[in-house]
Amino acid sequence: MNRTRLFYLLGALLVLGAVPLDALARIKLTALPVREWVQIHLDHPQVALIEEERIVPLVKGVNQVDFSWANTRIDPHTLVLRIPAPPGERSLDAKVLSVSYPPNENALVWSVAASASGTARVRISYALDGLSKDFHYRAVADREEKMLELAQYLRVNNHANEAYDLAQFQTGVGVAFDKPLGLNETKEVQINRFANTPVHKTYTSDPMKFGYLDRAQDKLNVPMHYVIKNTGGALGKAALPEGKARIFQDDGQGGSAFLGEDRGKFTPPDDEWELYLGLARDIVVRRTIDRNERQRIAGNLYRYDVTVKYEIENFKDKPATLNIVESVRQIRDQVRGDPGHDPEWQLGDGTLRHPDPEKSDADQLLFHVDLPARPADGPAPKQTQTLRLTLNNEW
Amino acid sequence: MTLNRIACFLCLLLLPLALPARNVDLATVPERRTVQLTIYNSEDLTLVRESRVVTFKKGVNPLQFSWVNTLIDPTSVELKFREPKTGLVMLDTTFPHDKPQTLYWNVQSDADREAIIEISYFTSGISWAADYLAVADPDEKTLRLESFVRVRNLSGEDYENARVRLVVGTINLVEKIAELAKLPVGRVNELKREDYKDLRQRAARKMMAPAPALEMAAGAVAYDAAEMEAPKEIIKEGLSEYFIYTIEGTETVPNGWAKRLRSFEADTVPMTVEYRYRPREYGDQLTRLYLLKNDVASKLGSTPLPDGVMQIFRTNGSASLSYLATQNLKYVPIGDKIELNLGVDRLVIFELTKQKVYRDNLWFQIKGGNLYRKLGEDGFKLELDSQVAGWDEHTVYRQKIRNYSPKPIHVQIRRDYAGDIGFRSRLNPTLHDFQTVQFEADIPVGEKAALDYEVISRMGYNQKQNRVELQNGEAGR
Repeated sequence: MNRTRLFYLLGALLVLGAVPLDALARIKLTALPVREWVQIHLDHPQVALIEEERIVPLVKGVNQVDFSWANTRIDPHTLVLRIPAPPGERSLDAKVLSVSYPPNENALVWSVAASASGTARVRISYALDGLSKDFHYRAVADREEKMLELAQYLRVNNHANEAYDLAQFQTGVGVAFDKPLGLNETKEVQINRFANTPVHKTYTSDPMKFGYLDRAQDKLNVPMHYVIKNTGGALGKAALPEGKARIFQDDGQGGSAFLGEDRGKFTPPDDEWELYLGLARDIVVRRTIDRNERQRIAGNLYRYDVTVKYEIENFKDKPATLNIVESVRQIRDQVRGDPGHDPEWQLGDGTLRHPDPEKSDADQLLFHVDLPARPADGPAPKQTQTLRLTLNNEW
Repeated sequence: MTLNRIACFLCLLLLPLALPARNVDLATVPERRTVQLTIYNSEDLTLVRESRVVTFKKGVNPLQFSWVNTLIDPTSVELKFREPKTGLVMLDTTFPHDKPQTLYWNVQSDADREAIIEISYFTSGISWAADYLAVADPDEKTLRLESFVRVRNLSGEDYENARVRLVVGTINLVEKIAELAKLPVGRVNELKREDYKDLRQRAARKMMAPAPALEMAAGAVAYDAAEMEAPKEIIKEGLSEYFIYTIEGTETVPNGWAKRLRSFEADTVPMTVEYRYRPREYGDQLTRLYLLKNDVASKLGSTPLPDGVMQIFRTNGSASLSYLATQNLKYVPIGDKIELNLGVDRLVIFELTKQKVYRDNLWFQIKGGNLYRKLGEDGFKLELDSQVAGWDEHTVYRQKIRNYSPKPIHVQIRRDYAGDIGFRSRLNPTLHDFQTVQFEADIPVGEKAALDYEVISRMGYNQKQNRVELQNGEAGR
């Protein structure tokens, strides 16, 4: 019997009565019950749990059930043997008496008492290292970039040195499925498909997060994103796990063009899943601090009146919405240095007066600015927006 | 029987007044009749008591006891006469210089007789540890808790049919038994203080009740073919500050092997699920916990729970298991609570946002002196050389919690604040301690909670206290 090839070996030693452990160690006659059923649980973020069911022949009395493994990384502390009683079926009563661990072996021996001779269905579960999973996505946007089709895939990487002829996979995402999984095999399965998913294409200027395209000319980077809200329709029922997304667009000729890829973050329901598409070159945003005036309140206490100006041009032949994001703290630090406390501020009478309440807080402000399309017969209009802030109680 | 099964043996030398220096000896080897192991989990220490039947002749009888390739502390070896208790006298003990791990006893007998002697000693290399298996039901209202003890024998000696007792609790040792086992007896005193032996033995033997009558012949645990054998019971009894677990019947743990036995099992132990944000205890994350109690009402409470690793699972609808966590459980006294940390639940979103910051109650120090004025006080003009010396910093927070899990949740939040702090909210908070605020919320399935509060930090000249003061009011002005 070659244990190194039979990676998990479950042997039921058909010996009546208490068997000295020494006897187990050397000369054995074993029955080898095959796996009847295997479940692979991948719903835990770090741990893969295997559950397998085998039918073990037992004799009346005490039986030694030998479980051994080689070249695999079973965590022996997680090994659990259960003997569930099948409902409505008269079966023998069996109970685990003790577990013995032989020296220098990846093995253990369960001492199982049986009320009668016969077979018992046993479930063995254990955590197995080397079995990992990851998720990835394929998104295909339509020509108008208003809808996309999103496919979600699970990839199971088997470096656990064990093959499973047929296993039921429980991933915690989508429904369970049955597949074989070979040695060193990677299995990829589509687990969800979200058709006609609304997508919102955004253009964003955020000097703190995305910086400048040309600092000398005050030109900001304007990254583009596809934003999908994890809600409505088939979406919104579960979180979208983190994973790489490949993004395509319908090319109108029956094919699709590859737009890029991004690593989507874990996105719970109601949150937005953002996929970065690259920098927009046809929307130009110049940002300057247009005004910075200091007024003394008393002693060394001052008030600052600051205006940030944005000059925006849309060279595209389609209208777009620009998200302008600012950190008030960064503005304050820029105009007077960091005094070590949070800024206290009020919005003034600039053109940007209504921040998005859902995405703004004590520091970050987000404004949506509609940009008309470039006229077919003329230059792109330049739009100027101002953000006026009063920074109070600074010293 | 393998490598060193005769490593620890007792010889009755068949020479009157045998001299250890002899090169040619003839000896009989009385076998162990009974053996009892008392294993401590806090130290690498096991007290072994073994009994043997020895035939003495009238006069002086030399006995040799040796323990080659074992981890016995030579200073701990003791000989007692169990039966008969009189008529036998141990005259002296000799540790020969030319035979390591050997000693000789000279025993005076007043008649030719058979006697039961008891030899006790400390050995290292035998250990025991508790471990646990917790399986929650699908509704997470109850769980099944199984406790196990695992005995591991790396002592170099086989102990067959041994009565095993396990001590729960910590003891004090002056030296490690494993270190003592490596030294000749004559050099032991070089280790540390002279009284080490008394201290150590007093500590260890305090645990030892007299050896119970040990009926442990091989057939003592006769198998009754008429009934299914039940798992061995582990009897638990308190002694002083300790608990002693006695494994029913006898066990054989060969050298190198480990054996795991069920200590107890409890079905449908009531439990609750709570989500806690306590950065000092669980890190900066909302942590999911199973909470239960080690008491009789919870079908537990018969014994403290010794330190050990707990594997935590939950059964799902198809009676399969879902792995939840592995946790090192610390000693749980009877009646105390048990907290099982399951880590972060990704279906519960926990976010803190800073909504607003403002400052008021500004005080100025006038010209660097001892005079302070408040901004806005009538009649005072604050010159350029007046400096801000004190202020109240108001920060309004919103604690957002979204529950996408399939069950309603209860959340408890603790936040620590240093300095002179006012905590204003309508959240009915309480003070966990002088600088820690605690508040709670229930969030139904699929719902979102927005918990607003305002932290007022009195800074600089305004700081008069170092504590949190709770204020009932709306957050933000």
